[in-house]
Amino acid sequence: MTLKLAVFASLNQVALVKRALQREGIYAEMLRTPRCLSHTGCSFALRCREEELAQLEKACSQWKIEPGGIFADMEDSSPVLDNDLLDEW
Amino acid sequence: MIYLDNAATSWPKPPAVARAVRNALIGGMGNPGRTNHNNSMNAALMVQECREQLAQLFGIPNPLRICFAANTTDALNLAIKGVISPGDHVLSSSMEHNSVWRPLVALEERGVELTVVATDASGVIDVASIERSIKSNTKLIAMIHASNVNGAIQPMAEIGRIARQRGILLLADAAQTAGSIPIDVEAMSIDLLAFPGHKGLLGPQGTGGLYVSERVDLRPLKEGGTGSDSMSPHQPLYYPDRLESGTLNLPGIAGLNESVRYLLRKGVARIERKEAALTHRLLDGLAKIEGVTVYGPAVRVTRAAVVSFNIQGMDSVSVAAQLEARADIACRPGWHCAGLAHRTQGTELTGTVRLSPGPFTKASEIVTALGVIAELAREAKIQRASGA
Repeated sequence: MTLKLAVFASLNQVALVKRALQREGIYAEMLRTPRCLSHTGCSFALRCREEELAQLEKACSQWKIEPGGIFADMEDSSPVLDNDLLDEW
Repeated sequence: MIYLDNAATSWPKPPAVARAVRNALIGGMGNPGRTNHNNSMNAALMVQECREQLAQLFGIPNPLRICFAANTTDALNLAIKGVISPGDHVLSSSMEHNSVWRPLVALEERGVELTVVATDASGVIDVASIERSIKSNTKLIAMIHASNVNGAIQPMAEIGRIARQRGILLLADAAQTAGSIPIDVEAMSIDLLAFPGHKGLLGPQGTGGLYVSERVDLRPLKEGGTGSDSMSPHQPLYYPDRLESGTLNLPGIAGLNESVRYLLRKGVARIERKEAALTHRLLDGLAKIEGVTVYGPAVRVTRAAVVSFNIQGMDSVSVAAQLEARADIACRPGWHCAGLAHRTQGTELTGTVRLSPGPFTKASEIVTALGVIAELAREAKIQRASGA
């Protein structure tokens, strides 16, 4: 299963998008952004299945939230660090 | 106890409020935005749910534009001091609570131009007089939605329409109306809405908030930890983080989340009807008691559930003490932190006795209160006649 990690500036944004996805029946996990992807200090992220990414992007667009980036992710919560695999949005 | 002091803080609260506060304290509610354990994440979701419910209640398009505050005064200071700069002109009314009046006067002393537009003696503002007072540098209209002294309601939607047409921001102080009278920030063209959590919203004390429309960007009053962009020396630009530094009042917000859920289920319009019926009964009864003077709009004019009166020959503080001593009635005497409003209605030397029913007040309690007031008025009349 391919997972995506959407990084946000604030946990408030994460909570809003998570609840919007939840209303659509989609589970997205809230987590602290791994240090290697967190360039501005504390930030939070949502992890979802790749096929649900479009809904996540739709929710972000609806609420005018711009993620700091969307990355390929591993199930064990360690993000893929190979730059070629990074999927910047 | 017969509780008629809902304008100061509402009581009782829906049972779910106390349960939520208790669970927040006992169940281990984490600090959202600081870490990644479940208690912290669940707290963040609860806070977000509360923002969404408040957004639904007030017709707010984006819940992230609601910033939690400690109370309405806190929210009003955030709004007024965050938007006004020296050289700007502010319009306000002669019915304001000190939470608007004092910050504005403090700013006036620092170069802000202030116009206090006079209302009529009942406390209602003439919209044309607002329009006439607008200047080229008018930045903000800061206005109480309903008076905490006599319940007079300002025509907020009309004021909002004028403000929007003239490119002026409108700040509404909803201390007496949030949760008691329907508010729709879009329909009323409100740019900044300051509200308490512990009055009409039926939540715990120490809660409140400020809605900041996307037309406004506020300078924060305080900077600090937000759990976001930690390496930056500057406050985030995005909301609500921009205005929410430091740990939130999580137990309070947990309680508020449940009280707003209760209000959404009951419907604010239904609560408004019930409070209006109680208020009219109170006003009708007071009008029949000799020696009682009631202040504010005429008996049948719509007002918030706030009634101010005096008994001829009696100090308002003594009346309140007697109401408590004779029938365990809780109310508020004095000046209600609103000297300007008392000057407007001519009670600056006496203050008033304020009765404020709430959604849980019973009609029989109003009857009891009227009975005691009639008894006190009779006794005062006898004392006056005997020259005592």
